[in-house]
Amino acid sequence: MRRVRAWFSRLAGVFGKQKREQDLSAEMESHLQLHIEDNLRSGMSQAEARREAKMKLGGVEQAKENYRERRGLPLLETLFQDMRYAIRMLRKNPGFTTIAVLTLALGIGANTAIFSLVNGVLLRPLPFRNPERLVGMTSYYPKGPFVVMRDRSQTMEIIANSDSTEFNLTGVDVPVRLTGSSVSLNWFRVLGAGTAMGRTFEEGEDQPGKDSVVILSYTLWQRQFRGDRDIVGHAILLDGVSREVVGVMPPDFRFPSPKTELWVPLHLDPRTTGDYWGSSYMPILARLRPGATIEQARVELASLRPQILAAYAWRMPDDSWKNADVQLLQEWLVGEFRAKLVILLGAVGLLLLIACANVANLLLARATARRKEIALRKALGAGRWRLVRQLITESMLLAMIGGGLGLGAAVYGLKILKATLPADMPRLTDVAVDGRVLLFTATLAILTGLVFGAMPANGASKVDLTKTLRTGGDKDESQGTNRLSRSLVVGEVAVAAVLVIGAGLLVKSLWKLSNADTGFHQEYILTARVTPNQSFCAVAGRCQAFYEDLLNRMRALPGVKGAAAVNGLPLSGTWETVPSDVEAHTVAPGSHVPMLLERVITPEYLRLMGIPLLKGRAFTDADAAPNAERVTLISKSTAERYWPGKDPIGMHVKPRWMNDWWTVVGVVGDVKENSLVRNVPEWIDGEVYMPYGPHAIQGRGNESAPAELTLLLRTSESQIQIGGELQSVVAELNREVPVSQIQTLHGWVSEAAAGPRSTASLFSIFAALALALGAVGIYGVISYSVAQRTREIGIRMALGARRQEVLLLIVGQSARLALLGVATGLAGALLLTRLMASLLYGVGASDPATYAAVAILLLVVALAASFLPARRAMRLDPATALRHE
Amino acid sequence: MGDKANDKKDVWQGTLALMVLKTLQAMGPLHGYGIARRIEQTSGDLLAVNYGTLYPALLKLEQEGYIRSEWGFSDNNRKAKYYKLTRAGRKQLNKEEREWEETTAILARFLAPGEGRS
Repeated sequence: MRRVRAWFSRLAGVFGKQKREQDLSAEMESHLQLHIEDNLRSGMSQAEARREAKMKLGGVEQAKENYRERRGLPLLETLFQDMRYAIRMLRKNPGFTTIAVLTLALGIGANTAIFSLVNGVLLRPLPFRNPERLVGMTSYYPKGPFVVMRDRSQTMEIIANSDSTEFNLTGVDVPVRLTGSSVSLNWFRVLGAGTAMGRTFEEGEDQPGKDSVVILSYTLWQRQFRGDRDIVGHAILLDGVSREVVGVMPPDFRFPSPKTELWVPLHLDPRTTGDYWGSSYMPILARLRPGATIEQARVELASLRPQILAAYAWRMPDDSWKNADVQLLQEWLVGEFRAKLVILLGAVGLLLLIACANVANLLLARATARRKEIALRKALGAGRWRLVRQLITESMLLAMIGGGLGLGAAVYGLKILKATLPADMPRLTDVAVDGRVLLFTATLAILTGLVFGAMPANGASKVDLTKTLRTGGDKDESQGTNRLSRSLVVGEVAVAAVLVIGAGLLVKSLWKLSNADTGFHQEYILTARVTPNQSFCAVAGRCQAFYEDLLNRMRALPGVKGAAAVNGLPLSGTWETVPSDVEAHTVAPGSHVPMLLERVITPEYLRLMGIPLLKGRAFTDADAAPNAERVTLISKSTAERYWPGKDPIGMHVKPRWMNDWWTVVGVVGDVKENSLVRNVPEWIDGEVYMPYGPHAIQGRGNESAPAELTLLLRTSESQIQIGGELQSVVAELNREVPVSQIQTLHGWVSEAAAGPRSTASLFSIFAALALALGAVGIYGVISYSVAQRTREIGIRMALGARRQEVLLLIVGQSARLALLGVATGLAGALLLTRLMASLLYGVGASDPATYAAVAILLLVVALAASFLPARRAMRLDPATALRHE
Repeated sequence: MGDKANDKKDVWQGTLALMVLKTLQAMGPLHGYGIARRIEQTSGDLLAVNYGTLYPALLKLEQEGYIRSEWGFSDNNRKAKYYKLTRAGRKQLNKEEREWEETTAILARFLAPGEGRS
């Protein structure tokens, strides 16, 4: 109780200070007077009496200070006092303050921005009910296996959705191509997602006849239907089929991808064998049932595998889904981006270290300049801890201002960041500055303030009182400070070296990637998806005639030098694969049937794309005739894979389900279909081309002709933007056919490098900042050392040192620091860059050329940074320098 | 300067508080200087009281409510701040005296020559 009372009394002591201060002074004064009177009475002289009284009191000021400590809450009170003082100090040195604050703002800002990204993508829970119970399978499965899993799993409620399914929306002013997702009926319920308006799917709505329903995304509802509330219950035309809109999702529901604009029931019909068991592979997700753990789910998934294989009408390869695993949905979604983000976070962390070292150095230099002031404060009764506190307050204030500015910069930088990052980055839309980010920034600022403030404060508080006050500076102690600041600079250079090397490796990868041989020409080719409804193509020959007309009319346009069509562009992520029989290749029992990527093309395609014909002949118009022989072209690596050492011309392949063989008439060059690194995805074994015509239609089994072709137009230099004309020509031919994804081929290629490009540019920015900060650090330390050594330099000159020698002396000092830093940095980089091996392409993590270039770059920067102070030293007037105190 | 005081025998805080309370009980209201002097005299000048350390102790006692202070005038008409014991202070003094006696009694038994135990 007494303690509480005392505490309140002290809290009150924080206020009404002036009166209390007067009171204390009066009391001290009266004490002294009483004592002096006593002393006089005992026969001392006036001066002696006063002196004795003061000594006995132990120093008026110190007594007062002790008293003050007890009076209020010293921590709180001195905090106010220190703040006021710190603000005054910072305002008195605007140059120092600006540099320190900007450096910190940079460091903290960069960290905040990247952390926002990490937070939004990796940390923020998914916007579903109990998202920590949601999991995803690491393999894709067709519909059949999905049904097996859904019906038999004891540990999981299994759901499925297609990655993306495209639809034509017609019956509106301009037909549009929409991206949707086919989802299993239990999808919304298991995810725990409800509509903003209307309802989700109901039991039975995956059955033919009842499945004509659709749910719209909020964005689509706003954009296409202007937020019309009456849309629910009305029908829209999708792919020529009327579907009733039963619901609209809330704005923040963007799943499975931010591009998803609508959801339709997943159609499950075991009678369409090829589709049901073979072709549409989908991601499979699940919610763990109550009480089930992810380990149990894993075990169960493994035990379901034989049951799935047994459900097949034909023998699947023994190793199908062998590596399938269960992951938390959050990890599953983020996938490879996790590593990238963690590496970026590491990079900005290093940047912050450099910033801290720089500010610490500034503070060190200033602390030396402030020795006298600090000594004086000590003499006036400030304790050591009190001094440290005061200096820390100053650095904290710097960190807070820096943090505030940094936060502002981060909010702005985040906008740029989001625009720079590839659009396919999952959950990018969830990235924002939220409470967690604010907490992070605040913590970072405080830690930063402590880290860069503690060292100088500790050093400064040890100031030897009498020596410092007498001489105004103490050589021995500043030597220690110098050592510290030099180590800081060496560390800074080392960290900068690591960052610059990281950036160098990424830029080199990007350069290699951008110059990777794609196998086709990219220039002056405009591409666009032209997609009639599947039903339109069901009538034999109608689709073929439509495309033929279109191509001919486009060729007739001025500025169009050529026109072709293909069922999927390289690097665009569209492919159709066919399980195939390959002549002279027997499938070993238990291994898988060759999966071939099937590109259906018009004859002009190869020439227009510049894909070289290596052997045999290309397609002609005659190959598309109804009674023509079935011919195919094969890519070089596919031919080499299946018929090594043999002549591929005259060999045969065919889709599994067909009886007629296709004859290989030519071999063409390989094309980077999948990515700039791989020709075809891992799970595809090769690539064949088929002529667009009746055979290609039959080649796709029970479906009708490919209705989704991409047009390629070779244009003259000046008319790359011929897309508008294409749209009107298509509209003239058929008002129901949407034209979408109008983009240059170069654009597709460039998009394929978007991920590496954004990483490389971010890293380069960080590296450039690190380099700049490192240079400022070296400049600061060398300048300071020149100022300190002025006398020494004067003596050297007086003893006959030439100016060049002085220059070399100073530059040499800088070179030593830089060399030490670079050496440490290279060693560090050897260790650290291995972590980013997954981001590198065509360049090793310890690429000697990059390391050497960076070492030279850093040395040059270090020398440049020391040149100004060195020149100053060289131009010193020996006479003045000798008199320098 | 402050460091030198540490070399001599210093009066530690808790005991100083007890001394202050006892002094005020014995002498009635008294100013800081008077208290310091009195403590020094009572100790037979064995204790070197650094007078400055007295004031935080007085402040602490006041904050805890054991003493009260008000400005008054000394014998030779000088203005001074007088401290005086409160009821709580009196109670606290009794309690601390008792505790102190117990403590010293126990210690005395430990320190006394061997025959004390038989």
